[in-house]
Amino acid sequence: MIKIKDLHKSYGDHQILKGIDLEVKKSEVVVIIGPSGSGKSTLLRCVNYLEVPTSGSITIDGQEITPSVDINTIRAEVGMVFQHFNLFGHMSVMQNITLAPIKVRGMSRYEAEQKAIELLGRVGLADKAHAFPSQLSGGQQQRVAIARALAMHPKIMLFDEPTSALDPEMVNEVLEVMKVLAESGMTMMVVTHEMGFARQVADRVLFVDGGKIIEQGKPDDVFLNPQQDRTKEFLAKIL
Amino acid sequence: MSIPFDLTLILDSLPLLAVGALVTIEITAMSVAIGVLIGLFVGIAELSRYWYFRIPAKIYVDFVRGTPLLVQIFIIYFALPIILGVRVEPFAAAVAACSINSGAYVAEIFRAGIQSIDKGQMEAGRSLGMTWTQTMRHIIIPQAFRRTIPQLGNEFIAMLKDSSLVSVIGFEELTRKGQLIIASTYGSLEIWTAVAIIYLIMTLSITRFVAYLEKRFK
Repeated sequence: MIKIKDLHKSYGDHQILKGIDLEVKKSEVVVIIGPSGSGKSTLLRCVNYLEVPTSGSITIDGQEITPSVDINTIRAEVGMVFQHFNLFGHMSVMQNITLAPIKVRGMSRYEAEQKAIELLGRVGLADKAHAFPSQLSGGQQQRVAIARALAMHPKIMLFDEPTSALDPEMVNEVLEVMKVLAESGMTMMVVTHEMGFARQVADRVLFVDGGKIIEQGKPDDVFLNPQQDRTKEFLAKIL
Repeated sequence: MSIPFDLTLILDSLPLLAVGALVTIEITAMSVAIGVLIGLFVGIAELSRYWYFRIPAKIYVDFVRGTPLLVQIFIIYFALPIILGVRVEPFAAAVAACSINSGAYVAEIFRAGIQSIDKGQMEAGRSLGMTWTQTMRHIIIPQAFRRTIPQLGNEFIAMLKDSSLVSVIGFEELTRKGQLIIASTYGSLEIWTAVAIIYLIMTLSITRFVAYLEKRFK
């Protein structure tokens, strides 16, 4: 589903990614962990070209991203959930969810709203369709953001530290939605510090540091029996 | 010695001054409306990745903000006809000068407003597959516009006052009407007092209206 080959990204002289090779299969859930500044968010943001790679190639569902492809059609297939939700503050929950399906997919308003109501039900917010983001808690906002991304029927979902900005008591309601999504067969790449979630849901865990994948494997292997010293060091600090 | 103040002179002049006030509102409203249109495009152009949008926008804004409105009015009314070879009507010259002037200030207001919108809004829009233009139109500009209502209100007030400058090319707005009445009645004290109070009523009304808008959009 996603193929990344020798991906490099630098800002000026500062190298963030130093050659990432990664393949994510359909329905696979990959959790990326690593210290801050390791490049894990940058890696995720390269997948939908919010960051333009300096070199290397990214292929999404068989289509390589090059300057000649219409990036918007690829982005429509790749949903993204941000750390700070990034809901559109001037729009109701319903408008947040229906905007892109109407504008990008050309869906009718009625159809988009039916779909939105169904999605809101799935994230447990059926009664919040007409609320504005500022009236919702962080956990509720993030669930709306997930519904908004899902409304485009993406083939892949990217989560960039989706629970890092939440109060502790709201983390689980978001993780629960993500868990259900993973079980439904969605292909997911998740940058997170939630090790419990990673162990429960991930098919594979990547440890990224210094712009490289240091270690990867099944969650239990990486967490309980890390091979690399840097992985051990990092896990010792956070577990 | 008592200061002579002829109240009846003001009352007699009110109809003429009212006409002048309406003309002042008309030219201000037109200029700010056109200015908002200019300002929207120029403000976005200032933020463009492409130098051929950015540089001309910057030159326009710098030129207008760096020269007096009075000189701009003279250029359009007296200098431009020499190049074009046609006479410019005072009304057209007044609206053109004020619009071009207002456009530069509004551009700066919009530029700052757009820049004040969190980068994540653009990223969220783009990540959903919307184009830059769609995201600008449906997400960034509506939010920036709401946020800039107070500054746009200030610009409207500034323009309302500055529009008095077009009296120098004989355009009969409120200030010019006052001058004309004084020319035939010699009532400087009464008429300038009345003119000032009329301006004050207009600017205070706008302040109230903008405060109301700001509250409604919150």
